[in-house]
Amino acid sequence: MAAALLEEFGRGDAREREESWRYSKTALRSLSQQEFVAADTDAELPETLRAQFDWPQTRGRRVVVVNGVVSERYSDFADVGAMVTVGETGGTIAVRIDGRIDEPVHVVYVGVPSAQPSRWQASTAMVVVNGFAHMIEQHLGVDGAGVLGSVRRRIDLGDGARLDLVSVCDLPESVSLYRLLDVHLGAKATLHATHVLLGGRMQRLDMQVELAGEQARLESRGVFALRGRAHADTQLDIRHVARDTACDIVWRGIADQRARGIFHGAITVAEGADGSDAKLSNKNLLLSAQAEIDTQPVLEIYADEVKAAHGATVGQIDERALFYLRSRGISLAEARRMMVTAFCREVLDGITDQDLRNRLAGLLIPHVDGASS
Amino acid sequence: MLKIENLHVRVAGKEILKGLSLDVKAGEVHAIMGPNGAGKSTLGNVLAGREGYEVTQGSVVYAGKNLLELEPDERAAEGVFLAFQYPVEIPGVNNTYFLRAALNAQRKHRGEAELDSMQFLKRVREKLAVLHLKDELLHRAVNEGFSGGEKKRNEIFQMALLEPKLAILDETDSGLDIDALKMVADGVNAMRSPERAFLVVTHYQRLLDYIVPDFVHVLADGVIVESGDASLAQKLEEHGYAWIAERKLAGAV
Repeated sequence: MAAALLEEFGRGDAREREESWRYSKTALRSLSQQEFVAADTDAELPETLRAQFDWPQTRGRRVVVVNGVVSERYSDFADVGAMVTVGETGGTIAVRIDGRIDEPVHVVYVGVPSAQPSRWQASTAMVVVNGFAHMIEQHLGVDGAGVLGSVRRRIDLGDGARLDLVSVCDLPESVSLYRLLDVHLGAKATLHATHVLLGGRMQRLDMQVELAGEQARLESRGVFALRGRAHADTQLDIRHVARDTACDIVWRGIADQRARGIFHGAITVAEGADGSDAKLSNKNLLLSAQAEIDTQPVLEIYADEVKAAHGATVGQIDERALFYLRSRGISLAEARRMMVTAFCREVLDGITDQDLRNRLAGLLIPHVDGASS
Repeated sequence: MLKIENLHVRVAGKEILKGLSLDVKAGEVHAIMGPNGAGKSTLGNVLAGREGYEVTQGSVVYAGKNLLELEPDERAAEGVFLAFQYPVEIPGVNNTYFLRAALNAQRKHRGEAELDSMQFLKRVREKLAVLHLKDELLHRAVNEGFSGGEKKRNEIFQMALLEPKLAILDETDSGLDIDALKMVADGVNAMRSPERAFLVVTHYQRLLDYIVPDFVHVLADGVIVESGDASLAQKLEEHGYAWIAERKLAGAV
């Protein structure tokens, strides 16, 4: 049974799949032992869920995908303008951006359970022909009998294009999600992506980026904050193919209670990709003795004149700093919140929209708050 | 204000304080002097509520309360302040944000109204001037990239801002040049008042030229072996700590 999911969730050949799911094998097996029915693509969204994505700033520029299908009822993209085209061909949701879009496009994926555990799939393709686009992506779910979703996405940035992507996956404990993000960057194209992974029974993000054109640049920021029995697995696969390409990766992980986090960051600088610059920093914080984080940076270089730096750590909250804050009158809970927020700061600092940055910081708080068990 | 009786404290299984008693009244400045390893920092840490300091005997009563039962943040809100010997750098936590959170947490605990950012900044500017600290330090992370002297002055600045009732200065003079030492002393002297007490822990007499104490106590091997007025510090400076040890031995004979 697990083999079927493995076939569906992943990339590369069977051996690579097996290897990349190493730390999440148990989580995958437990999912594969469940019977799923097809999810209801016309499901009603509870008011509390709608409130999670109905941001005043993105009204009129919002696509809502319910259990894998664009929902006419909940979407509202009246104001996206002529430069953005949203369509659906052969089951793939296609977004095409041609020009400079300053206001963000908001794409929301929702997993809603039925009476029995259910499954859905979505496939999207986004092409930014040229110019600049800003996209906010949100993954949400409703607690219940359990939902397993999968989203496969392809993003193509044309020569000189830039995409700022903010992706938040905030799931209740019965919801699982597999995501594959496949990015192709043309010459001088830049992707600045910020990923926030919160909660969920099992969530997995596979992000593969091909720096295909000269001077293409990837800035990847990310954080997972997990508690309870949440399980999140992030796998980055960055490939420098062309000359003078750059990647700058800053990821942070926090696990509390019995949560489990995995970060795998692989960077390959292919033969001929001379003059490339690769940076990876991954720091993790364990907030309880039962939590576990596995981190694995991998650097493979086959080119000349390459600059590369990588580092990964797993540690605990600095008790001296905690005492320092408390000795000035700050409660233990608030001191922990301040320390953890500070730990994630570097990840969110790249987001220029202050409202959005504050919103994300606010989303993190319930996942890191309170006394550890 | 503070009454310590027969205090025994163990750190990592080793007894450091071995029956220390001390009585500090409001308005008084007490200096605790002693050689390295006498237990000076342990005293400051145990009063502030640091973990890992096990009180095996004795009592500490502060403002009528059993101080040892309070959490570190409750002690702060009740007016206890420790100026750290080694202030901690906290990357990512903005200094202004931290100070305002601390002040407002204390005010809330005491049932006072929280300060808004205008009121807070006004207060901050007044206190910064006294310690000759640059505004720019407020925009940085807590103690991050501060020089040794800036860190120590920042401690006294925090004290000035938080206005504690009992301030414990743990070797605030160590690593300071004479100008910084004077600034620190000015900051402390400006705060001396009939309602406030100070416990100045130091290895050297130098600081006490500028902060003149009402009482001087010599701490050696976990107990106070000698108490006197400010002139005791002077005698120690002349004769060294060995003199105390000799006197103690002579007394025992």
